[in-house]
Amino acid sequence: MRAFLKALCIVVAVVAFQSAVLPHYLEPAFKPDLLLVLMVFLALRAETSVSLPAAYGLGLLKDCLSGIYLGLNAFSFLVVYLVLKSVSERLNVQSCLLFVLTVSAATAASAAINLLLLLVFSQTPTLFAALLNQLLPHLLVNAFVASLVAAVPGCGSLRTSP
Amino acid sequence: MFDLLRKYLLSLLVTIGLLVALIIYSLNLPDAREANWVERAVGSILSPVLGPVKWLGTLPDRIWHDYLNLVQVRRENMKLREDIKTLNQSLVAAGELLQEHERLKRLLEMRKTVHEPTVAAAVIGEDVAPWFRTLTIDQGSSSGISDGMPVLAAGGVVGQTIKVTPNSSRVLLLTDHASGIAGIIQRSRARGVVKGKGEAVCSLEFTMREEDVTVGDLVVTSGVGGVFAKGLPIGTVTMVKKGQYGIFQSVAIKPAVSTAHLEEVLVVLRAPRE
Repeated sequence: MRAFLKALCIVVAVVAFQSAVLPHYLEPAFKPDLLLVLMVFLALRAETSVSLPAAYGLGLLKDCLSGIYLGLNAFSFLVVYLVLKSVSERLNVQSCLLFVLTVSAATAASAAINLLLLLVFSQTPTLFAALLNQLLPHLLVNAFVASLVAAVPGCGSLRTSP
Repeated sequence: MFDLLRKYLLSLLVTIGLLVALIIYSLNLPDAREANWVERAVGSILSPVLGPVKWLGTLPDRIWHDYLNLVQVRRENMKLREDIKTLNQSLVAAGELLQEHERLKRLLEMRKTVHEPTVAAAVIGEDVAPWFRTLTIDQGSSSGISDGMPVLAAGGVVGQTIKVTPNSSRVLLLTDHASGIAGIIQRSRARGVVKGKGEAVCSLEFTMREEDVTVGDLVVTSGVGGVFAKGLPIGTVTMVKKGQYGIFQSVAIKPAVSTAHLEEVLVVLRAPRE
């Protein structure tokens, strides 16, 4: 229960920071996706029973704060999570570099899945160009945030034993 | 005779001296404002000496006050620093209040032009993804807001409400890809649909090639669709492109309201037509 409350506090803090504070200082393209970083972190370093619903929940939470399509990010987060989880056993999940690379790949994959879903299910023809324009800075900022997260000493607490 | 002179010599000299002094004084009266040769000579001799002497004379005092007795100065310095900090904070707060006052004043002016009930709301959050354009405001269904209500700012149209909760709502900005508002060129009455392009720019779509649209034209709401009242400013035409083929022209619009740093908005309590 205490762990759940702690996790909830972290998520609320992340969401508030990302939604209310960061947009004040950063251009939209340079806003990091902290929820995605958190999802990748959980995918690599937490138990499936916790991280699977958490990944979907984080996606849903992002949908509640972004765009108009509820379930879009929830789906893409889930797909990215499942792929990461399936390969995480063969990876050195303790590596900081791997974490940064995984977050970058997850950013690109999540954007691609979102785009695919939007093209298939909704009328957003101009989104493609905007998404491509902003993907690279978004990816770089996410990688930067991932490197910061990896550098925090307390972040090793969820690491699995080798 | 000599005895008499010797007896009164002193008195005589004093009297002569007094007389001479009186004569000198009386002779100098007409030119009292000008320095005579005596004064000039004294001034010339003393002026190079006075400065260093004064410097030397006040040296102990200065050593005491400037180097030895600094406790008071340090205390005063700290107090002044605190005062500057307080004054700076007051200055910033006053500037902030002034800006808020200006923004609210403009918002009130906009409110006067809307002939329907409105609710003022503060922006409390922005979209967390870089490719969508929505805002979160601090008023919801408990204030009478429902989905699809027009949202305005001082300059014109901001967007419309979506996903309304009891205490907050989200605003789909007119720059979002999913946004579409029926617009009209104010000058030529050419019609179209203002679509968001994700960045700080929109496009006027479905405007026929032969319609008269030029750069600088003001685009306002047409009232078609029932969400927005007629005549609300949407933006200004920044680019018009007519290709060789096709029945429509490409028109780019710069929104009248910069949505980048919006802080207060007005929600018009106007239920959209079903």
